[in-house]
Amino acid sequence: MTNTLSQFRTEIRHFFLVSLLNLVFAAIAIATGVQYVVTAILGQTLDPVMPGLPVIPGFRIFTGAIALVCFGLGIRWILSTVTIFEGIVTIKDDLMADGDAITDERLTCLIVRMLAHYRDNRRTIRTMILVCTLGGVLFFVLGIAHSLKFLSVTATGFAFSLDNLLLIPAMLLTLGISLASLLSSYYFSKFAQVWENRLHEIGESECALKQKLGLDEQ
Amino acid sequence: MSGRRTIYEIYWEILVYCKSPRSFTGIINRCDLNSKNGQEYLEFLIAKGYITTVREGEKTSYLSTPPAGEYIALFSSMYQKLFDNPPGFRL
Repeated sequence: MTNTLSQFRTEIRHFFLVSLLNLVFAAIAIATGVQYVVTAILGQTLDPVMPGLPVIPGFRIFTGAIALVCFGLGIRWILSTVTIFEGIVTIKDDLMADGDAITDERLTCLIVRMLAHYRDNRRTIRTMILVCTLGGVLFFVLGIAHSLKFLSVTATGFAFSLDNLLLIPAMLLTLGISLASLLSSYYFSKFAQVWENRLHEIGESECALKQKLGLDEQ
Repeated sequence: MSGRRTIYEIYWEILVYCKSPRSFTGIINRCDLNSKNGQEYLEFLIAKGYITTVREGEKTSYLSTPPAGEYIALFSSMYQKLFDNPPGFRL
């Protein structure tokens, strides 16, 4: 197996995994967003009461509004990811189907396809980096804000009450989504940077092809 | 192949596909081109001597010439070189 093939295969596989991770967490983000919105609308949660501090009015509405934004971002997130995911799955499947016996031309063809896919989805990937970062931050705020309801804050410190332990997994899930989206954003921006450099490299070396085709004489 | 490609990528694709004689319809379908653009690309490659026409009765086919091999090899080496080095981050 050549170095090029091994490198290309590794990158495609990782890009596929990041896209898949995005799809899964985008779906969870939508579900969690809906759950928080419904809880906030139905008023099943109370505004946090902290001993020694006044009740924060409208806190429930605030978390509901953040949840609504997260829900919207989740939908945008999943739509963007699907476009990227479909293209990468086709390329990955073709690459795996050819195996180690892949010809030079076939490998070049897949590289060209990947570049074309990146050019087509350049804007979407940029949007996705932004949406993932924003979603990650919002989910982090939501996780913290939601957990505040289950904290008893005093002048000397803070404590959990017993019932609230059951709600810790939900809070951890929210923080997990936040972490996953920030991680996806990081990897997408790194991949985008690498592919941008490659497009730039191609642009620079195109004069050799131009010369070969005799286009520079025109 | 579809998607946004450079003219050099399209030329490469046509030349590789035409390693065996191909019809005009086959070429434009395979390379996802409209007939106007397909005609222009083929005319250019014929003018440069990278493609030749083969007549079999009423049918006309297009075939890559030996000089096309040099362009194909140069293109392949350029594109494969992009993956010589790993990306600057840990996968």
